[in-house]
Amino acid sequence: MKFGVAGRDVTASRGARAWGSALGNAVRCALALLALAVVVQALIVVEARPQDLLTGIHGMADFIRRAIPPDFSRLPATIWPLLQTVDIALFGTLVGVVMAVPLAVLAAANVTPSRYAYYGARAIIGFTRAVPDLVWALLFVTAVGLGPFPGGLALGVHSVGMLGRLFAETIEHMDMGPIHALELTGARRIQIFSHGIVPTILPSLLGISLYRLDENIRSSLVLGFVGAGGIGFQLLTAMNLFQYQEVSLLLIVIFAVVLTAERISAALRERLA
Amino acid sequence: MLRVRGLSLRYPNGKLALADFELSIAAGEFVVVLGGNGSGKTTLLRCITRTLKPSIGEVWLGDINLCPLEGEKLRQARLAIAMISQHASLVGRASVLRNVATGALGRHFTMRTALGGLPACELEAAREYLSEVGLAELAEQRASTLSGGQAQRVAIARSLAQRPRVLLADEPVASLDPEAAEDIMRLLQRLARSERLAVLCVLHQVELAYSYADRVIGIREGRIAFDLPRGEVSRDVVRRLYVGEAA
Repeated sequence: MKFGVAGRDVTASRGARAWGSALGNAVRCALALLALAVVVQALIVVEARPQDLLTGIHGMADFIRRAIPPDFSRLPATIWPLLQTVDIALFGTLVGVVMAVPLAVLAAANVTPSRYAYYGARAIIGFTRAVPDLVWALLFVTAVGLGPFPGGLALGVHSVGMLGRLFAETIEHMDMGPIHALELTGARRIQIFSHGIVPTILPSLLGISLYRLDENIRSSLVLGFVGAGGIGFQLLTAMNLFQYQEVSLLLIVIFAVVLTAERISAALRERLA
Repeated sequence: MLRVRGLSLRYPNGKLALADFELSIAAGEFVVVLGGNGSGKTTLLRCITRTLKPSIGEVWLGDINLCPLEGEKLRQARLAIAMISQHASLVGRASVLRNVATGALGRHFTMRTALGGLPACELEAAREYLSEVGLAELAEQRASTLSGGQAQRVAIARSLAQRPRVLLADEPVASLDPEAAEDIMRLLQRLARSERLAVLCVLHQVELAYSYADRVIGIREGRIAFDLPRGEVSRDVVRRLYVGEAA
């Protein structure tokens, strides 16, 4: 009798496993088809035509032919816009850091003084991050006119969002032991911040800020296209005037600047780690 | 020095963590609390520091009852209570000396201390506290480079910088090797005597309680199971404290 009951259990269990396995396979197939459908719709929406790359390659070749050799005689004229580009990034990063630090403290769930401050700070961070720096640049150009200043402001405001979020996450993930220990000594909130939170997260904050500076240098090149000054503006002007040899020179300079900034930033971050 | 009267705490989930707890510790006395996991030992310490608000009861520090206090008055009253826990919780990137001196922050509120500076007099005092715990030569070293035993000594020096009258220790030797654990217990015992501190130390190591405590309190299910001078604590009494947990 017992054997019979046990036998039925085993059969039922095997049946259930077979159904489970079949269901699992069906789900996997459905997910694979779904992934394929997503890729196909993307190709349709972007009107992907790889054959046009082949038929239009002579256009690119013509551009490259006219851009070579680069016009190195224009090199001295790139120095000032280059300095502007780097300084736009530097200004934007500094503004971003100064504004992001207090916002991040309010937006970090583990140290925020109140729920309202938390949601308020998160809203500001979310908004400044959601609006692209290019749009901020257009807005600031209409407010303060053309030149590097609107570019710096645009990068600053956008950096507030980007840095604010990363700083807040850093604070939320830090070891709270020293903070609780300071609380118990009777230290005040501002003292806990300056003696406990700041020294604990400072290396991470500096690392993130350096990475942002590196990103902002790249962004400041693009901002020149909407009139925010710097080497991007010079690149746009050269393109519009069909000065392709100057364009190639500017591309070389941009490549050198981006690479240098990236290496310096990486080396400094490594030292801070 | 420290008196706890009729202290009870019921958590929001209905669990009674402490029930009608009575305790009194004199200056210079070293009291060890024993009890199984979840018996209410840490809850007792958190009620004394008022990081938890008791449901009913009183916690007297000298002639001040901490229970009704809030805000600045509570912060001021808390200055007399220092606490160390299982982990030293030091700021790893700061020097040992700075870590010790931060224990005095509660008594100095100036622009300098608000912006990360420390008063020169407290840095000097911190050197003395480091000598007290036998680590004067490590003053300038980064706290992250210390061993577990050294870090715990620095945490004790930090609590001394607070100039407390009561020192609470929540399993201060739980993560240390036996030799370092003995060192810390000897230090706490010595400080209780020399600084006239009322020390309340939660432990799991029964042997350490037998060796160092003036008095041993057993807690079971939030109530006092026994409160006896060290010499009167039998092995059987202590064993009974943990029987329910083992079963």
